[in-house]
Amino acid sequence: MKYKVLKIAFAVWIGLWLFFVARELVIKDNLRDYKALITRSLEDKHAYMTGEDLYRFLKFCKANLPGRATYRLTGLEKGSVNKQRAVYYLYPLLESGDPDFILVYGSCSAKEDGYMMFAGSSGFGCIMKKMKVR
Amino acid sequence: MVELIIILISITAVTFIGCNVLYLIAGKSLKLKLGEIVAVSYGLGLGFLSLEMLLFYFAGWAFTVEGILSPWLLLLAVNAVRYFRGRSRLMEPALVAAPSRKPGLIDVFLAGGIVFEVIYAVFRALIKPIESYDAIAIYAIRSKIFFLAKAIPQDYFAAIARLFPHADYPLNIQLSETFLYMSMGSLNDALVKVIFPFFFAAILCMLYFALRRFASRTYALVFTFILATIPHFNNYATNAYLEVPLAFYIFVSGLFLLRWLEDGSSGAIILSAVAASLAGWTKNEGLMYCVIYTGLVFIFVISKGKKTSKKDILHAFLYSGIIVLVSLPWTLLKAGWHIANDEIALANLNPANLVRQLHKLGTITYEFQKQLFGPKKWNIFWPAFIVVMLLNYKKTLEMPVRYAAAAIFLALSGYVVFYMISYLDVVFFTSKTWARFMLDFLPLAVYLLAVVLKEDVKC
Repeated sequence: MKYKVLKIAFAVWIGLWLFFVARELVIKDNLRDYKALITRSLEDKHAYMTGEDLYRFLKFCKANLPGRATYRLTGLEKGSVNKQRAVYYLYPLLESGDPDFILVYGSCSAKEDGYMMFAGSSGFGCIMKKMKVR
Repeated sequence: MVELIIILISITAVTFIGCNVLYLIAGKSLKLKLGEIVAVSYGLGLGFLSLEMLLFYFAGWAFTVEGILSPWLLLLAVNAVRYFRGRSRLMEPALVAAPSRKPGLIDVFLAGGIVFEVIYAVFRALIKPIESYDAIAIYAIRSKIFFLAKAIPQDYFAAIARLFPHADYPLNIQLSETFLYMSMGSLNDALVKVIFPFFFAAILCMLYFALRRFASRTYALVFTFILATIPHFNNYATNAYLEVPLAFYIFVSGLFLLRWLEDGSSGAIILSAVAASLAGWTKNEGLMYCVIYTGLVFIFVISKGKKTSKKDILHAFLYSGIIVLVSLPWTLLKAGWHIANDEIALANLNPANLVRQLHKLGTITYEFQKQLFGPKKWNIFWPAFIVVMLLNYKKTLEMPVRYAAAAIFLALSGYVVFYMISYLDVVFFTSKTWARFMLDFLPLAVYLLAVVLKEDVKC
């Protein structure tokens, strides 16, 4: 009796396993991701996972800022996974409460006291630089 | 492709170092199968290499691949002398319950399922760069810092570490990733994730051979298949979180602790202690398992009463001594730089505070049962586990499995206590972490289930 119950439980297990494998691939749309990622370079994979626009903006910032500059990033939700990815990609640039630069992802219409436009990035955002105090 | 080959060669070298550490620890006192040797050596290799990299920080040395690997030549030489003098082999014909027969259809199906899960885990890990939340915010950022600096920067603990979350988290896997980046010469954060499915495969390997010591091939395959196909477990083998490496060390430590309880071998108790301390070097939760396992060792020795031998007492102190020794560099560093956990303070662990936090128990229990009965994560494992344990409670209390059951019970209790004394909102904390914490002792639970069910299953 016990053995029969265990056999049934194992059969249920296998049924659920097959369902979850199928779910993981098809229902959760992972197949589409795999198809998109498999031929990409590492750089393109980063862009795909982060979002092409944001990744291009982060690359733009990295290319335009001095190596050890400090920054504050706006336009991304605090604590969001994309914020964490941005911090990771931008290192060795470091976040700071009193930064050399403000990286504005998205609309650049808002002004920041004490900062001036430093560089714009074809519609994805811009970089503002701290003005020197005489 | 070149980077893939380099990373595989590097992992082989690391595993070879681990094999030498294992040989030093165990000599011929442990009878292990080749699969077990490779699995244990992989975990030991990464653990000791990263510990060595931490010592480089104390010495003020920069990382180079040659610099990291070359000190191990000394161990290699010592082992070579030991081997040729004593002919003591690490691999002996291990105990196997039933002689191998031709694999049946069910064996082929089960083995196929396990191989599929391992290959699929490797694929899922490598197809994406590190991108999930904690993996990137806590772990990968540190590997990047160390790789770019070619060292643990001397101002790391004073300044840099505090700019990113959880400065107090141990650095085993972060430094292992750094070593692999250095081997490749690039920050390929997709390939480096191969570490995790390899830990997954190593756990499956350990489980299979542990079960083969008392059961048939089919029986061992059934439970290895069960572990391999638990969705939450194989997912975590791909996302660069540290739960699977941690589960590996906890499981290896637990298995060899059980072996020591059976045969009292010095090799088993030393290996258990080393693996437990590497669990503490992987995640802070690992320290809890160090305390639990050490406590169980002492309970066992004391419970023998007049039958306690000097060797037992020596083993108990050796166990705690090894854990203290391996944990010492990281503990001293944290204490020296006043780095503390920002979620839990052990100062809050006192009876008065626990009573004050009793109101959290409802939420903790509610979230726990939500995890238990979630088939999307666990299939039907936990309900089946609970039913089997309740129906077979007498077998659960037999030697030595009662120590495995006690370890799981104490770990669960430990997590409950941590939730109670944590500063974080209990709903947020439990909903984010309960399922993850349960991964830590999952392999041990599968092993326990297999032991308890042995007499009811005819295969």
